[in-house]
Amino acid sequence: MRLTRRDFAAGIAAGIAAPYLIKSAHAQGATIKIGMCAPVTGPAAESGGYAIKGAKLALEAVNKAGGILGKQGELIVEDDQTTNPGIVLAFSKLASQPDIVGFLGSIRSTQVHAMAPDVIKLGKPVMIGGTDPNLTHMGNQWLFRCRPNDSYSGRVIAEYGVTTLAKKKWAVLHSTDAFGTAGGKALTGALEKLGAPPVLDQGYANQSQDFTPVVLAIKQSGADILGSYFTFENDLGIFARQLRQLGVNIPWVGSPSIVNITALKLAGPALYNTYGVADYAEDSSEGSKAFGKIYRDAVKVAPDNQSSWTFDAINVMAQAINKAGTTEPAKIREAILAIRKFAGAEGEYNFDQNGDGLHGYNIVKNEKGNITFDKHIEFND
Amino acid sequence: MDLALQLLFTGIGIGAVYALVALGFVLIFRATNVVNFAQGEFSMVAAYLMVVAVEAGLPYWAAFIVALLGMALLGVVFNLGVYYPLRHRSYLPVIIATIGASILLANSVLAIYGPQPQVLEGWFETPGIQVGPVYLDSQYLLIIGVTICLVIFNFWFFEKTLLGKKLQATSQDKEMASLLGISVSTMIMITFIYSAVLGGLAGILVAPVLFVSIQMGSTIALKAFAATIIGGFGDVAGAIIGGLALGLIETFGAAYISVPYKDGFAFLVLIAFLIFRPQGIFGERVAEKA
Amino acid sequence: MSAPSDNMPIPAPIIRSKPLVVRHLPYFIGAAILVVLAANMNFDGYVHNILLQATTFAIAVFGLSVVLGLCGQINLAQAAFFGLGAYAVGIGTTDLQVSFWLCLVGGCVISLLAGALLGMSTLRLGGHYLAMVTISFQQIVTLVMINAIWLTHGPDGVSNIKRPDLFQTSQSYLAFCVAMLAIVGYMVWHLSDTKLGRAMRAVRDNELAAGVNGIDVFRTKIYAFALCALLGGLAGGLFAGGFAYVSPDQFSFAESIVFLTMSLLGGVGSPVGSVIGTGLLILIPEWLRFLKSVPGLYLAIYGLFVILIIRFMPDGIWGFVADALTRWRAKIKAPPAVAALQLKPATIGGDIVLEVTGLSKHFGGLKAVDGVDIAVKRGGVHALIGPNGSGKTTTLNVLSGLYVATSGRIVLDGTDITHMPPHQRTASGLGRTFQNIRLFRSMTALENVEIGAERPGNTMVGKGDDALTERAMEALTFVGLGSRANELISSFSYGHQRLIEIARALASNPTLLLLDEPAAGLNSTEKLELHELLKRIAAQGLTILIIDHDMTLVSEAAQHITVLNFGRRIADGESMAVLRHPDVVSAYLGSE
Repeated sequence: MRLTRRDFAAGIAAGIAAPYLIKSAHAQGATIKIGMCAPVTGPAAESGGYAIKGAKLALEAVNKAGGILGKQGELIVEDDQTTNPGIVLAFSKLASQPDIVGFLGSIRSTQVHAMAPDVIKLGKPVMIGGTDPNLTHMGNQWLFRCRPNDSYSGRVIAEYGVTTLAKKKWAVLHSTDAFGTAGGKALTGALEKLGAPPVLDQGYANQSQDFTPVVLAIKQSGADILGSYFTFENDLGIFARQLRQLGVNIPWVGSPSIVNITALKLAGPALYNTYGVADYAEDSSEGSKAFGKIYRDAVKVAPDNQSSWTFDAINVMAQAINKAGTTEPAKIREAILAIRKFAGAEGEYNFDQNGDGLHGYNIVKNEKGNITFDKHIEFND
Repeated sequence: MDLALQLLFTGIGIGAVYALVALGFVLIFRATNVVNFAQGEFSMVAAYLMVVAVEAGLPYWAAFIVALLGMALLGVVFNLGVYYPLRHRSYLPVIIATIGASILLANSVLAIYGPQPQVLEGWFETPGIQVGPVYLDSQYLLIIGVTICLVIFNFWFFEKTLLGKKLQATSQDKEMASLLGISVSTMIMITFIYSAVLGGLAGILVAPVLFVSIQMGSTIALKAFAATIIGGFGDVAGAIIGGLALGLIETFGAAYISVPYKDGFAFLVLIAFLIFRPQGIFGERVAEKA
Repeated sequence: MSAPSDNMPIPAPIIRSKPLVVRHLPYFIGAAILVVLAANMNFDGYVHNILLQATTFAIAVFGLSVVLGLCGQINLAQAAFFGLGAYAVGIGTTDLQVSFWLCLVGGCVISLLAGALLGMSTLRLGGHYLAMVTISFQQIVTLVMINAIWLTHGPDGVSNIKRPDLFQTSQSYLAFCVAMLAIVGYMVWHLSDTKLGRAMRAVRDNELAAGVNGIDVFRTKIYAFALCALLGGLAGGLFAGGFAYVSPDQFSFAESIVFLTMSLLGGVGSPVGSVIGTGLLILIPEWLRFLKSVPGLYLAIYGLFVILIIRFMPDGIWGFVADALTRWRAKIKAPPAVAALQLKPATIGGDIVLEVTGLSKHFGGLKAVDGVDIAVKRGGVHALIGPNGSGKTTTLNVLSGLYVATSGRIVLDGTDITHMPPHQRTASGLGRTFQNIRLFRSMTALENVEIGAERPGNTMVGKGDDALTERAMEALTFVGLGSRANELISSFSYGHQRLIEIARALASNPTLLLLDEPAAGLNSTEKLELHELLKRIAAQGLTILIIDHDMTLVSEAAQHITVLNFGRRIADGESMAVLRHPDVVSAYLGSE
């Protein structure tokens, strides 16, 4: 086939026109719409897929149980490309549809920061999974968090290590991205409060191919326990292997990624006997167990926090709208903030005035590749 | 001292990875005067091919051969689809086309295989050996060994075989080569095949260490490219030395200066080289003739 | 030295017209309508965000059309400059509480300086090396944004960025950005017709020729980079104000590639192309969101399109359209006939125009030129001859500054030019042509000659573009090509191209004209014409130093001959006597 310039130009023209035709063919229905920004493409596309499945499962259940305000709920997903500009566009695209009553934002804190100005402008409730504590403490009244924030994960890691494992010489290792930096800060702060300031506070850049210098630094620091905030599973996998190869076998309590399925697959035995904080732990409560069963049946994969928070977010939102009896944003907000003792997959929701629904974490242990629930640590302040 | 020895081994291991990929850069550059920005994706594609072949139930060695054959095919397609139509244009369109190709390759794999990182077992049962204070990862040992073999092989191939000499002649003076009856387009095709296979080999070798992911190629390739410049563009020995130097700089820089800025060291050294010694360690500076 | 710079093929240049604001009134009216529309149309948030993104990105892409389109240099760090501007506004208006305008200007200055710094690396680097330097710069900027938390807030980014009081509402801010786009677009559009723009195009087309025609190649590249960075910084500042939040991942290497693709897709040669490319690359991903249900599919198609565009639309969409338009448009006639060309070579020094003493050029162990003395008398034609490999062309290249002399001294009309770079020698009165013709291939004959006429210190051209055109027309008419002034170089025969190159040198009114084998490749009729031309030039008192193999031409045209062999001078003197000199005969015929 010979492609000439003219053919190519005609092809481009057709390609540009096509989406318009396809779009206009869409019909509108009488449903209650919930918008969701999720990474369908980009580095977090995998977890984005889980998140969408979690939300869809929750909505199916809600619809079976009578729907929202008597109507069927409908989920409208926009790809945020795992980038900040991507989520700004995705959210504004959803926001421009006046019949969408509430939204699911991102599990990534920077993305929530990026979309936050538009959220205030719009003035409709947005459920988020980003765990940067600031998100609900910066005067944005439309953000509601369905995961415990990092001030709790840091405190839980510190508490568990210092009190339960009785270790005081900490090495703290964190990614230098937004998530890792905030987590590392929270953990260091909590340790200082417990009178055990870390002997090593080490950052690393994402997508490092080698962690030998880091491992050696940990070895040299004389730490007897390691706390970590890893963002990407391959980094975690490489680090875990090198840690063991170079003979460091101190207890290790990590952020949720340490018990993530992909991380378990990549690192294998190198992660045995480590501890992780998990906002979702299958055996931690009845709600968690119930979600686990639904998810396993539908998706055939072990459930994790990527899907559990969106599952909860839909349920919380549906309940709040039904309680409020209207889709008026201010009323929904009041209804969400009034939620107490709501048994979700992530735990028991008790919304505070900042919009934080959860206030504690589970500690889980990796027993030969199986994640077992150890204990739940809850804070009341 | 123990610390430094361990860092030395790791630095050389990482450096050997860069060197392997850099070798592919150098070969294509010598034959076509083009920098192939998709070289890293060759490594990534090969690692995925290997994963697919192993999962299909092939024995490890057979999967290895299948993956390399796949890479040879990719080299052919890449040459015909990306380089060959642009061979008479300047370097700029070609650079951009190879960037396009790298986006295409990475995302095609993503579309087909999904974003989950994969595990590829190494060649050896034992993960490594402890020699005194230093732990030697067996896969890194293999990589270092293969790199040494490739240096010897390349020397023999380019200096002692007729095909190698023809390739050399083509890379140095295309007009002269065609006057001598060498088919320039065949030689360029062979170069692309060879460098795709080399890139693939690098990918398969590092996969057990770094896991198989979509991004594995691009991160290594950028460093390998830096290594190529430090070593002096177009010089096989330079690529090896440049790669090793970069691996060591990074590892020691991370250990003794700063971990988060690890990637920065590579680029700072690179800029320093570009400004003060653009011809690299070995390369010769070629001036444009008036 | 950089690689040959026959970079991106460029659409036919705009035929120069008088820059009357009146002529461009439609542009300003159109721009004003757009601004008013932007200010008054009630867009929803989604459309508004897309428009704001497209507007600010387009300004950054204008930068690429300067550095890549006009000057032919690659820049893979535009997102870094964009980020510098954005962070200046971000940090400035929040942490430092400085006014938006001050921050915007500050960001522009920072970007400009960084761009100039990057441009300086072009002194020794071109092509792939330059690509790598820009990538390195990009990576380092990204690392600093992430890791210098005390300054940049690290990966959290900067939020609650302020806008100017004047443009608080989204609508008015968008209108402001559109106005900026229109103004910057107008300036970039006209840059190519200014002296700097011509210099950039000359550098892009042929660096060596640009240098010997009086253009400071190095400085031109720095200007191009600085301008590109400035526009990137401006765009970034506007972007930050518009979206109120910035974070490091918005300014990564991947974004630089997006900018580059925008530029290429639309057409790198023109700001119109930048706008088209930016618009499409922001809108297409939005339209194609349905493709994104399969991860990677959209980007794979995007990558494929980059390859296809490079392959089939090397000039981008606008280049493609502009090409078609020019075919429809009637050819613009050459400017009317003009006065005869006046050559008034400067006469500052004494009787000897060019005095070369003990000139040597060694390449490693090879002594290409070894202690040569040449004295060229004022007026008339002086020939430099010698067998192949005798060092003639090397001598010429040392004289014009393309090679640095190993030792020796060159004095042109009383000025010591031994240590000057090529463009300064040209400014001092040296003109030259090349054996393998080096014209600026994307330009018309007239534009080529104008660049010659623009030589600093040319006393024969008045102020303003009109005087420049007039001078160039005179020179073209002098070599007999005045009627074809507005044709592209590619439409001229080899012989005519040679004449254009000579006209380009003549327009600069040089004190000494160096001709490097002007008869090479000419047929016998053309050689006769050339001979005539040389006579007419010499008649005006301009001194010529000629290298040629054609002994008939040399013996008839030159009054004085210097003979080189193996890099040394073996004979020198009046033509006929030199040609009969036994050493010369044996050098040419071989000795027994």
